[in-house]
This record gives sequence, structure tokens and C-alpha cells, in this order.
Amino acid sequence: MSSLRPALIGIGLLGLLLTAMAVAVQLTTDRGSITSRTVDAIVVSTVMAIYIGTGLFAWARRPHNLVGALLCATGFTFMLNSLTVSDTGWVFTLGSVLGSVFFIVFAQLVLTYPTGRAATAAERRLLAAGYGLAIGVPLAYALFSPDLEGHSAEEAPANLILLADLPWLADAIDVAGSLAGVAVIAGLLWLMVQRWREATSAARRLLTPILVCGGALIVLLGSVLIADLVVDDDSVLYAVLNLAALVPFLALPFVFLTGLLRSRWVQVAAVGDLLERLGGEERQQLGAVVAEALEDPSVTVAYWLDAEERFVDDDGRPVTLPDPDDPARAAVEVRHGDVLVGVIVHDRSLEEERDIVGAAANAAALAMENGRLEAELRARVEDLRESRARLVTEGMAERRRLERDLHDGAQQRLVSLSLQLGLARGAVDRDPGEARLLLDRAAGELDQALAELRELARGLHPAILTDRGLPAAIEVLAARSPTPVEVEEVAAERLPAPVEAAAYFVVSEALANLAKHAEAEHATVRVQRENGHAVVEVHDDGRGGADADGHGLRGLSDRVAALDGRLDVESPPGKGTTIRAEIPCASS
Amino acid sequence: MAPSVLIVDDHPSFRSTARMLLELEGYTVLGEAPDGETAIAQARALRPDIVLLDVNLPDMDGFEVAARLSAIEQPPAVVLVSSREASEYGPLVGTSGARGFIAKADLSGAALEEVLAA
Repeated sequence: MSSLRPALIGIGLLGLLLTAMAVAVQLTTDRGSITSRTVDAIVVSTVMAIYIGTGLFAWARRPHNLVGALLCATGFTFMLNSLTVSDTGWVFTLGSVLGSVFFIVFAQLVLTYPTGRAATAAERRLLAAGYGLAIGVPLAYALFSPDLEGHSAEEAPANLILLADLPWLADAIDVAGSLAGVAVIAGLLWLMVQRWREATSAARRLLTPILVCGGALIVLLGSVLIADLVVDDDSVLYAVLNLAALVPFLALPFVFLTGLLRSRWVQVAAVGDLLERLGGEERQQLGAVVAEALEDPSVTVAYWLDAEERFVDDDGRPVTLPDPDDPARAAVEVRHGDVLVGVIVHDRSLEEERDIVGAAANAAALAMENGRLEAELRARVEDLRESRARLVTEGMAERRRLERDLHDGAQQRLVSLSLQLGLARGAVDRDPGEARLLLDRAAGELDQALAELRELARGLHPAILTDRGLPAAIEVLAARSPTPVEVEEVAAERLPAPVEAAAYFVVSEALANLAKHAEAEHATVRVQRENGHAVVEVHDDGRGGADADGHGLRGLSDRVAALDGRLDVESPPGKGTTIRAEIPCASS
Repeated sequence: MAPSVLIVDDHPSFRSTARMLLELEGYTVLGEAPDGETAIAQARALRPDIVLLDVNLPDMDGFEVAARLSAIEQPPAVVLVSSREASEYGPLVGTSGARGFIAKADLSGAALEEVLAA
């Protein structure tokens, strides 16, 4: 702002100087009555003062927003329009050629409000066409007509840029220019309607007064252009339309100013109120309080969970922040001191009120810090709820799998065994050789059934773990693994049974996974006691890239989380996999 | 003439034991099928008198196969078998169009005759 201030002061002084000059031009001309010249002087100075004044105010308020600059530019270009009354040839010619530019600057202001920047290629193209017409048509007309529009040659000074006196060509340019002008005006209105239709409800509150006011002026000036084609310059209709156009033209800066001040005052008051309420009892509905303060019902707050590096809502559910180029939503960070505590997600139109949103963010920081701790707790509860649900589902699936395995495996073998024994009994007397053959087959089925039952039982809970503890059970797992496994260390003391079981299955699943996927040549296992935790670590030198959210690891993670532990999987591609579980040993 | 049988079961060990048992008891085993679709195709092609049909098949359950078999021309007598008890299936056996149910462990020529005579 500090480098901007002198520039704005300079622009203000230039505005004063040019306004004084415009008034001087009006009052010193020989043309027209003193009354009409006085009225004109009042109009031009009022328009310039209002537009330049409002523009400078807006510019200072929001230095990165072009609306202030466009308001100023409208004021300055309006001055050019008043130069047509001058007695001096070059001033008169300049005013005649550039007198319409103010209108397209004004149209740009209305069309691009509230940013001041054209948002679409269509807007840019139409505005470029508008500027081309506003300068090109009067210039072309002046090249071929000594009698510049609306001012008879007897009264007016000489047209200094006349090339050739071709009235038919000048008239053709005049008509074509007016028609093109009407087309541009229709395009502007259409784009304004589009802009309004695509705006969010919060943005519409901001846009509607400006678009109505600007739209009215554009319609009136369009009518002036049409009237110019069909009636004389000095007709009553022409004068009335010109006068009527002045109303919205003069009103627009006030509409703009009112919106600016209203949103500022109302919201500053609301943020003050927000501070007070957040100090009181209303901590629960932080999102609703902030939404009310910012007059944006779509506001949501999200809390930052540092440990988990994600945002969650009031209920602890994960929140995805809007994309930086999301046209409808934006987010502002809330910091308590240097610590990120959350974000306020709001309607994109509030970007224009960045300082207010920032003030609300500051006001909400302390409450959000408290809310964050609560949300952290809720997120934990939510995680536990989900993992409990997964454990139940997993339990059901496990039972189904077990039933299936029993049915398809041991049960089928025992059925066959039963039938073969029946056949053998029938064959004993008739054909002892066949009976022996059948009994051999039955013995084979029985061996298979026993092996399948043993495998199944081990999957449920390994007996060696209960009988001999974790070191022996892990040695067995290592010995059964097709990949060479070195058991570096396993704490010899007995741990609580659920901890031992979880540790065992972490090793078992990790070794099963690495045998299936890792293409490893070597693996190590260690189970240590650290700070009241059993720390299980299985590392391999395989290809890495293990999916921590895959079915097996997710199930393990839930199993470990059920004991208040955590499972970490580190598996960078090409650099092996380390699975590490930390399980608290409550009874130690 | 000995009654002809099609054995439908996804476990090869049961199919081969059942074939041996039934052949010893004087039945003619026309073929074996490991799933429902093959069973229906074989039943159309071979026209067996009896289809010995496992309830648990990989592509569809035995009740559905039984219902579809009952709709073919000159339908065979369908006898459902399972390593589970009939009571586990409640009224499904009765409504499937099958002639009856035999627990796999109780399979014999006599058991088959008894079901078909009922």
C-alpha cells in the first residue's frame, strides 16, 4: 500500500486538474447558452468527481482489484466527451473522436465486476470490439465529414483531420457504426445475463445491484444509438434518453460504494460479534457462526490433524479442500500463532472480501484450535468405529471362509472316506484285493483330511504360540517361508495373549505377502520391547511398492489398531518393504 | 435294464467314489459333470434316468439346476446330495422339483432306490 499511496494521490491531483480544465472548457466556450454550459459544467465535474473519487477509494481498499482503476478511467474518459464544446480546433477534434470511449470503459467496469478482469474469451473479444468501435467509428467519420456529429460547421471549430468531404461515406460509417454499436450492446447484455446466471447465490448478492444499474444504462445508451438512426439530434426523445441515461450512470458509483461500505461495515460488525460469541458458549457451531459472520451459508470449517496430515470436519470425517482454480469454492488457512489449525472453506465471491475473511479466520483461530483437538478426538473415534466395523465384517468373512474351507476340504474327504470304507466292507469277502485297494485310498483321504484340518487350525490360532510363546512360533514361520528369513531378535518374555497373537499374525502376513509379491532374496524379523510396546519389524530386500491399503495389510492394521497399536508400511519401489507394528503391552 | 445315472459334483474324489459305488450296485453311470451348466447340457445329451446332483456347485446351486432339469423334455429323476444334512435346506428340497435328498455319507444303491420309490 505504501508505494501505492503517492500514485493514488497523483491520480487524484490529476483528476482535480482535468476536472477544472473540463469546467473551464465548458464555461469559456462561445457556443450554446450560459445556462446549458453551466449545466454541462456541473454534469461533467460531478461525473468526474464521483467516478475518480470512488475509484481512488476502491483502489486504495483493494489494490489488487481493477474495479478502482476502471472507475477512475471512466471518470477520466468522460472528460474527453465534454471537449466537443471547445472552440479550439484540436481540443474539439480530440473530443469528437474519443468522446465515446468512456462508455466502453464503463461497460468493462460493469461486465467484469467484481474483479475488474474479463473472465472469458468472449468477454475479452466483445470488449476489444467495443473499444475498436468507440474509437474507430468516430475517427473514420471525422476523416470524411467536415461536420462532426451533432455540431454544425458554422458553430464548431474546424475538423482538423478531415481527409475528404464525402458525406455519403460519412453517413454510411455513421449508420454502420450505430448498428455495430447496437450489436455490441446486445452482446454485453447477453454476457451480463450469463454472468448472473452462472454466479453462486453469494456472488449474486454482490452482482445484482451493479448489473441492474449498469444494464439500465447500457439499454438506455443502446436506445440513444437507435434513436440516433431514426430521429434528429435535437428531438425531445433524443434529449430525454440522454438525460435518462445520466441517472444510472451517476448512480452506479454510489451503488458500488454502498456495496463496498455495507459489506465492510456489516461484516466488520459481524466479525466483532463472532469474536464475542466464540468467547461464549457457542463453540460447537463454529462453522455456523463463521457462516453467519461472513454472510455465506455455504461456509464450512475443517480442522487440520497434524499427525495424520489431513483435514477433517466437525464430526472427524475427512474433508477435501477445493482446488485452487475451483470457480465456486475457495479456502483460507486459519493459524493460531504459527500453527495451522484449519481452514475456512467459503464461496469464491468472498475472495473480494479477503481482509474480512482473514479477520474472521483470526477471530476463529483460538476456537478452532479447541475445535481441532475435539475433531482430532472425533476423527480417532471415527477411525475406531470404522476399524471396528471392518473387524466385524472381516470376522464374518473369516467365518464364511472357514465354513467353505471345512466344507470343501476335510468334510468332502471324510464323506469320500466314509463311502470308501462302506465299499471296502462290501468287498472284503467278495474280493479281498479290491478291499485292500479301497482301504489304501481311504487311508490316503484320511491323511489329506488331517493335513487340511491341521492347516486350518493353525490359521485360527497356532498351538505353538500358546504352548511355546512368540520366539518358537516365529522360528516356525521363518522356517516355513520359501524366502530365507533371519530372525534377528524376539523378546523371550511372554506378552499378553492378544499382543502375542497380533505380533504373530503381523509376521505371518508379512512373510506370506513377501513370498507372494516381493521377489525378495532375504528378510529379517525382529520383535522388541520398547517403552511398554511390542515393536514388530519385518524387513525384506524385495521390489517394494506394497499397497498399505490392500486387503491383507488393512486387516492387519485393524487388528493392531484394536489393541491401540499402529502399523506402518514403508515400501518405496525398488527399495524393499518394512512393516512395523507398535502394540502397547497393557499388562506389562 | 439298469437305471442310468449322471453324477454332478465339483469334487472329483466324490464323483469317482460315487461312480464306483453305484456301478457296483448295478447302475450304469453315463457321465459326470463338475458344475450346473455342464450338468444341464449333459442331461439333454445323455438322457439319464437319474441325476445325482450336489447342492453346492460353483456356478449355480443344485436347487436351480434341479428346477431347470425339470423343465427339459422327458426330465430325469433328480436326487440331491450334499455333505450337509437335508434339514439345513428346509423346504428348498421339496420345492426344487427334485425327487429327494441323500446325505453324501449315506449314499448307496438302496438309499437311491428308497428315494425314487417314495
